[in-house]
Amino acid sequence: MRNVHWLVCIAAVWLVLGAVGFWALLKYENTPGGRGVTPSQWPAEAQIARRTGGPALILFAHPKCPCTRASLNELNRLLARCGGKLTATVLFFQPGARGENWARGALWNSAAAIPGVTVRADSDGTEARRFGAATSGFTVLYDAEGRLQFEGGITPGRGHEGDSAGAQAIASIVGRNGTKVRQAPVFGCGLMGLCRSPGR
Amino acid sequence: MKTREDAQAIAKRAAELFREQKEAIVQHTDRLFGRIMLWQWVAGIAAAVLLSPRAWSGTQSTIHLHVFAAVFLGGLFTAFPVLLARTRPGQAVTRHAVAVGQMLMSALLIHLTGGRIETHFHVFGSLAILAFYRDWRVLISASAVVYVDHLVRGFFWPQSVYGVLAAPVWRSLEHAGWVIFEVTFLVISIRKSLGETYTVAERQARLEAMKEGIEATVAERTEELQRENAERRQAEEELKRSEAQLAEAQHMARLGSWEWDVMKNQVTWSEETRRLYGLHPEDLGAPMEQNMDHVHPDDRARVREALAESLRTGQMFVCDHRALLPDGTVCIMHGLANVIRDDQGRAVKMIGTTQDVTETKRAEEALRRSEEQLRQAQKMEAVGRLAGGVAHDFNNLLTVINGFSGLSLLSLRAKDPLRKNLEEVQNATERAAALTSQLLAFSRKQVLKPRVLNLNNVVSGMEKMLRRLIGEDIELSTSFGTELGRVKADPGQMEQVIMNMAVNARDAMPRGGKLTIRTGNVLMDESSFFRGREMEKGSYVLLAISDNGVGMTDEIKAHLFEPFFTTKGVGRGTGLGLATCYGIVSQSGGDIRVYSEPNRGTSFKIYLPRVDAATAAAATGPQDEALPTGTESVLVVEDEAAVRRLATTVLRDRGYQVQEARDGAEALGIIGEGGRFDLVVTDVIMPKMSGKELNDRIKRLAPQTKVLFMSGYTDDALALHGVLEPEFAFLEKPFSPGRFARKVRETIDTAILAKAC
Repeated sequence: MRNVHWLVCIAAVWLVLGAVGFWALLKYENTPGGRGVTPSQWPAEAQIARRTGGPALILFAHPKCPCTRASLNELNRLLARCGGKLTATVLFFQPGARGENWARGALWNSAAAIPGVTVRADSDGTEARRFGAATSGFTVLYDAEGRLQFEGGITPGRGHEGDSAGAQAIASIVGRNGTKVRQAPVFGCGLMGLCRSPGR
Repeated sequence: MKTREDAQAIAKRAAELFREQKEAIVQHTDRLFGRIMLWQWVAGIAAAVLLSPRAWSGTQSTIHLHVFAAVFLGGLFTAFPVLLARTRPGQAVTRHAVAVGQMLMSALLIHLTGGRIETHFHVFGSLAILAFYRDWRVLISASAVVYVDHLVRGFFWPQSVYGVLAAPVWRSLEHAGWVIFEVTFLVISIRKSLGETYTVAERQARLEAMKEGIEATVAERTEELQRENAERRQAEEELKRSEAQLAEAQHMARLGSWEWDVMKNQVTWSEETRRLYGLHPEDLGAPMEQNMDHVHPDDRARVREALAESLRTGQMFVCDHRALLPDGTVCIMHGLANVIRDDQGRAVKMIGTTQDVTETKRAEEALRRSEEQLRQAQKMEAVGRLAGGVAHDFNNLLTVINGFSGLSLLSLRAKDPLRKNLEEVQNATERAAALTSQLLAFSRKQVLKPRVLNLNNVVSGMEKMLRRLIGEDIELSTSFGTELGRVKADPGQMEQVIMNMAVNARDAMPRGGKLTIRTGNVLMDESSFFRGREMEKGSYVLLAISDNGVGMTDEIKAHLFEPFFTTKGVGRGTGLGLATCYGIVSQSGGDIRVYSEPNRGTSFKIYLPRVDAATAAAATGPQDEALPTGTESVLVVEDEAAVRRLATTVLRDRGYQVQEARDGAEALGIIGEGGRFDLVVTDVIMPKMSGKELNDRIKRLAPQTKVLFMSGYTDDALALHGVLEPEFAFLEKPFSPGRFARKVRETIDTAILAKAC
């Protein structure tokens, strides 16, 4: 009987510790990253050309952030879901002090392999700052007239694939199905040294 | 009732086996998860290291939280279930801990792999493996973890579960529903599997019950066999003991058994039968004819006839026969057998016994001989008593007649005409005395005076007389054995025997013939019987008297030695001759054998025991006619007045001082009154006191007094009174005055000589 009591206690402790650890993990994964101020109109000084015939999507990514793979995979699904109505540009953060190859890694290649995606390096995060991106995976969508339609992440959690409010919102906007969601939390590493910039 | 109990037992055993099987499955699954969880923990760490090794912020990076989560949280989720699986396999808490831990590991792996839809299959795979426990409760625990995970995350972070920023609670059931979907089928599968397991357990229980039944039957049968074996061994031991007892009994009784299979003509026999007949073991089962070889040739025909008769009539086979043993010994066997017949009445077997009755037969023969001897002895005793009684009185009378006639002759002149008459009286007295002597001889009660003598001398001394006796028509042939042994016998009586035999031979050869007298030494190497008397083995001297006369029939031979039996005509024979011969020879320790065939002749063989002593002269010298005289005092004790008077007359006439007494008491009275005598002459057989008793009394009163016994009574009677011992002087009645006077003088002189020495 004494052993049973001990066993129950140990099981309880085990469960509590597991719950706490899991809670911490979930907390980490579901805590959105920081973001800047995204212009409602396509910035004129932007170095990247805006698509005129349709909505333009830009995904800012850190080339070494493991969480970003989930964003790229969701982007892949999103583009497939939109069926050619949407093109995207993935800008990988490229510190100026590092060589160009620093950004060209597995994520670069994965992004480049997605049809309809243009991959570019964002030297020192210039474009990111311009579009208010502070967290890897931050995505913006502008319509053909250059108006901001969506800003935020397209994953349900940090490094976590699956249905998300951001991806559904973009798909609805592109498909003209109507949606009230224009923003979504973004989950990922700090894009330019602000790993956890406070949200708005 | 029995079947119901068996069914309950089988159900109980099936439940037990089912439980054992379940426990085995659970323990096996515990050990399986113990390995899987360790492996997937390592895999989780590897995935974390590979997929998200570091977290970045610009150009800065740190170890990703996933790595820590994989190591520590994954370790936490793994350690407890694995520990329980190793320390408490089979317990419910273990498998529920495994279920919870496994589901938590699934959640962790899903997170570590970025929520890949493929990783979600880990949940379903884990549920399927958890179904190995065959315990639906485990699936419930696992499902609960999944549901709680979704419920909590859906509440706090709905987008991480539902992909939307806000979702109702019921949506948590949507994800859990798939789990429940799978769990439902797994539960169904578990129930089915458990059912099959129970069926297997039930079959095994039935097999075990059947096996136990078979084993119980085998054990019971084995016990029965062991008991039967023990009983059989005991029976075998008892049979062996019984057979040993039977064999011992057969051996003691010298009784063997045998069996003749008539159809196969095979004879089998027991060990004792084999021993009795001296059979060879290899002869067992031999034909009856071969076994007949062991029957004495003279008896085989009779035995065969008896066997055939029994087989023919079915009557018991009873046959005494002689067996001829391999060493030549002849035994007498008593055979008994029963005939066994089959359903058709055919004689198929004879089962019988054979008993060695040699000793019994010999004992019977000895008994018969003893009885014959006893009968003969009783007859002779009766005749002897009669003869002895007659002889006693007759001798007294003859003593008186002979004595007084002798005295009268002494007083007559030589030319007295009365002398011839008195001499005729004396001759008649001597013949009467001879007749009395013969009466005593054949009854073997006469007084013998045995000496060691050579029969050759006796026979040769009689040759002349015998030739006259048998006449000229008969040739006398003598054959004397060389170095003939000596015998101890009364020479006069032996002459009487030879003479009687010669007379009989003469009478058997009326037309002449040959009389042969032969002597020789004979060694009898075994005892023999004749006329109920046994002649012991030893050295004998043979005196054979043979003739070639008319011979005798067996009937005559059977009565040959009986007193008063004669084949001669009236007036020619008294019937006492051979009886006398037989009495003399028997009294001398010998025996007579007769061999005779009608018209061929007769041979009497007289066997006398051989003695190793010097030959004594058999002849007796002529008596001195001058009667001795004396002056000594003599007391005559005699109950018969005439004899007493004769004795006193003879002695007084010879100068002796004589007193007389009628019996021993009177004699003792005279001596007691101071009478001194040099000699006491006393009769042996007297009323009140015997002569021997008187002698004993006299020896106490007057030891120097010599005693002379006289008697006309029998040898046995005198021997009974002990007066025939060498130290006593003895005079046989009837006696003449001369013999009496000489015997008295001789006795007194012997006493005087003894004193002088």
